[in-house]
Amino acid sequence: MALLEVNNLSTHIAISSGSVQAVDGVSFHLEAGETLGLVGESGCGKSMTGLSLMRLLPPGGQLVGGSSVKLSGRELVDLPESEMRKIRGNEIAMVFQDPMSSLDPTKTIGYQVSEPVMLHRGASKAEALDRAAEVLGLVGLPKPKERLGDYPHQLSGGLRQRVMIAMALACEPKVLIADEPTTALDVTIQAQILTLLNDLKDRLGMAMILVTHDMGVVAGHADRINVMYAGRIVESTKTDELFSDMRHPYTQGLLASIPRLAQDNTQKLFTVPGLPPDLSNPPTGCRFAARCSYAQDDCRTEDPGLKGPKEHTFACFHPVDGPLDLTSSTTVADRSAPAAKEKRPLLEVTDLVKEFPVGGNLFGRNKAVVHAVSGVSLSLGYGETFGLVGESGCGKTTLGRMIVGLEKPNAGQVTLDGAQVGSLRGKALRRHRRDLQMMFQDPHASLDPRMRVGSILREPLQIQGIGTAQEQLSLVTDLLGEVGLPKSALERFPHEFSGGQRQRIGLARALTLHPKVIVADEPVSALDVSIRAQVLNLMKRLQASHDLSYVVISHDLAVVKYLADRIGVMYLGKMVEVGSGEDIYQRAAHPYTAGLLEAIPVPEPELEREKRGGGIKGELPSPVAPPSGCRFRTRCPLAQERCAEEEPAMRLFGDGHVAACHFPLQTPVSDTPVTVATPAGEAV
Amino acid sequence: MAGYLIRRLTTAILVVFGIILVTFLMLHIIAPSPAITVLGPKAQPAAIKAWNHANGFDKPWWDQFATYLGHLFQGNLGYSYHLNQSVSALLTEKAPLSGLLTIASLVLSILVALPLGIYQGVKRNSFGDITATSLAMIFYSMPTFLVALVLVQVFALSLKWVNPNVPQDQTLSGALAGWPDLIMPIVALTLTAVASYSRYQRSAALDVLAQDYIKVARAKGLSERLVYSRHLVRNASLPMITLIGLSLPLLIAGNLLVEYTFNINGLGLLFVNSLQGYDYNVLMAYTLITAVLTVVGNLIADICLTLSDPRIKLV
Repeated sequence: MALLEVNNLSTHIAISSGSVQAVDGVSFHLEAGETLGLVGESGCGKSMTGLSLMRLLPPGGQLVGGSSVKLSGRELVDLPESEMRKIRGNEIAMVFQDPMSSLDPTKTIGYQVSEPVMLHRGASKAEALDRAAEVLGLVGLPKPKERLGDYPHQLSGGLRQRVMIAMALACEPKVLIADEPTTALDVTIQAQILTLLNDLKDRLGMAMILVTHDMGVVAGHADRINVMYAGRIVESTKTDELFSDMRHPYTQGLLASIPRLAQDNTQKLFTVPGLPPDLSNPPTGCRFAARCSYAQDDCRTEDPGLKGPKEHTFACFHPVDGPLDLTSSTTVADRSAPAAKEKRPLLEVTDLVKEFPVGGNLFGRNKAVVHAVSGVSLSLGYGETFGLVGESGCGKTTLGRMIVGLEKPNAGQVTLDGAQVGSLRGKALRRHRRDLQMMFQDPHASLDPRMRVGSILREPLQIQGIGTAQEQLSLVTDLLGEVGLPKSALERFPHEFSGGQRQRIGLARALTLHPKVIVADEPVSALDVSIRAQVLNLMKRLQASHDLSYVVISHDLAVVKYLADRIGVMYLGKMVEVGSGEDIYQRAAHPYTAGLLEAIPVPEPELEREKRGGGIKGELPSPVAPPSGCRFRTRCPLAQERCAEEEPAMRLFGDGHVAACHFPLQTPVSDTPVTVATPAGEAV
Repeated sequence: MAGYLIRRLTTAILVVFGIILVTFLMLHIIAPSPAITVLGPKAQPAAIKAWNHANGFDKPWWDQFATYLGHLFQGNLGYSYHLNQSVSALLTEKAPLSGLLTIASLVLSILVALPLGIYQGVKRNSFGDITATSLAMIFYSMPTFLVALVLVQVFALSLKWVNPNVPQDQTLSGALAGWPDLIMPIVALTLTAVASYSRYQRSAALDVLAQDYIKVARAKGLSERLVYSRHLVRNASLPMITLIGLSLPLLIAGNLLVEYTFNINGLGLLFVNSLQGYDYNVLMAYTLITAVLTVVGNLIADICLTLSDPRIKLV
């Protein structure tokens, strides 16, 4: 008998206009000591499945008759609420996504971790606190006994997530449901937390359900995987088999559309066309049929149901055989080599510095500053794409904002086409803004919800006083067509569009003024995998047709590598390495770059499993008081005394490949320090 | 904390000084001298001039301001030419009753509004929530004096449960002896305050209920009751502290209308009368009280917030 047996689980959520079939007939089982991955895109019902197991449904949600959840043979669906409460946090526990908002800000972490112990084990306060210290030690919180009285705001995101895990493990549950446990964390911390969860699972003999959208995360940490689409499980099998021998076209498309580090970036990414269906009115038959290239008439009328041998089930009439051969299905994008057009750089950034004061008060005391960007230089050629990567807090966004002139640097210069941006004022500055545009991360927050798309797109033209109303309209209509939206979109409001479509609108808005450079700050990180590939392809296509240069900022190295000609790696306000995609990926010279690459989960099970325990240790130091010398030395496996005393200079490692490290992983070409990284193709 | 308090008090003094200065200037522009009040509307220009000279009203305004400040430092709030009494004496006479009304209604409205708002947040869109919201809207949009008039009509004139006139005894003990008659003015003040506080408390509760840590608390196996008492109430009350601190001076202003309606001889009535009679020093004293209350209310709110929210540190 399986530890957890789920049969025909269906959850419907009543909304004003009907009911959303968030989870529809989901069945699976979980053995003790096993990790089951639950993957799918947003809205596919994976989180709702987790919440349904705990019977923690949102208002209006309810389990439909016929649903069954058995824990060690005991039916949970019809337990009275008072009995169910004894299961929650005791036998089934849950870890949530956002460690920033998942802890009560007014209670100490000691209290919060000891709370379930007092509740379920009837322990006294002192006993429960002892237990809390024990579990906090288990999850790797340094000096747990002394930190019981700390409040959540005193801890970093990674430590908070450890506290969350401690809270879930305090009563030694049989099943742990981890709902996107690392999505809100940086890759280096993500690797630490995933390893921790895995170790704890083995040590405590728990079973774990790992809910995530990231195929790379499940590849290394799940024994079996359920792929969900539109509220249903579409494929279920062992991890290795899923990646090497998937049968459902959706699984195939999902895996094919993820940009890989090893990808040839002159080729288009594979995309799954269209959007997932509306679950308040799901289509009959296979729910994926509308987006499936293998779909035939029977798919649209009849539900295929989950079939096949027990160890590999899938819901498809016309299954595929293994992964898509990516080399044959992609076409070469017509993109000219960047350096061929112009030798001189289009954009030059020299020794840019930005410091934000913190604390401070009326009388000007507390002059602490956050060293957001400390002397960064880069250059961008015509038609080139420069990628900026680094963990959150490394200053990449601040740098991007300074490049477009949204933030004034404390020192250093931005030169565009020979003109210094910093010295411009008033009219000249406004004129100049035409050349530098920005694309933002959050497609929901970056469009004014009360403006029609037409007005949003025309606004830059009106501000700059370009063209008559008629001309503006025709330009905007053309742009909409270019980003793949119908003309009717002009009259609609942003909320009527999906995330991917809104990001297209954001791109169109950035394009209205025919800029020379677009700074794209995490352009696809809020989007689902299948939509992400569509937007990335679009960005590449528009770059060629509009003669654009991009600065792409992202924490996702694979995305940056796909888009960029050259990549700059930032750490704590400093550029530590610059090089071509291949330089960074295959010949990383800086230990931080290598560690970052190591930490990124890739959707390849064997590679992922080998990596256990690797990656960068510790957390990002405070940018208020950055370490002396090399800023990475506190987390660097190769650090020596010299690193603390002397700041490493940029040295050349190859054509256009520079890194700042005293003890690099590659041998430098010469020991003479270089100042500005030059565009690819230019003689150094 | 001590350093913070010192800095805050310094700013507070500056703010109060600024308010005194501005009020003083405005009063002097509107009516340069109270001579007509004292000497009567038919006074001869020569007599007015002589009176102004005798009382220092012909000096430049900064001279007069300096004199006023000097008196203020000695605790002398000046003299009411209208009522022929020192302002300090007037305040000692009128403040206890007004203070009683204010404090009683403040305490009462907090006691009612906070639990009510939490209840409404928890039972969102239930019959109780909708009823409370409707009532709050009615009392919020209704002027306080109208609430007062309705109360008088219903409970004093129709039902005859209480006296329509409140005790005219100014002393605290005298007023308390006839406490049933104070119920209506206090209720009138409370209703308006509850209406606005409970709205804020409701939305604060909804904000907190949408937080992940509430979901986490449920996932720990806590009963709804424990989720609310341990993780909702404190977090949802934090925004109320600032709100209540800021509304201290507003309550005094609300008093004005209620005192007028119930014919209570309190600070509010004193203020209205002095406004009509250009009664300089009384107006100045009233502004001073409001300014001090604003500053003090703010300061108390900040201190309370620091004590109840570990994220906030006063530095």
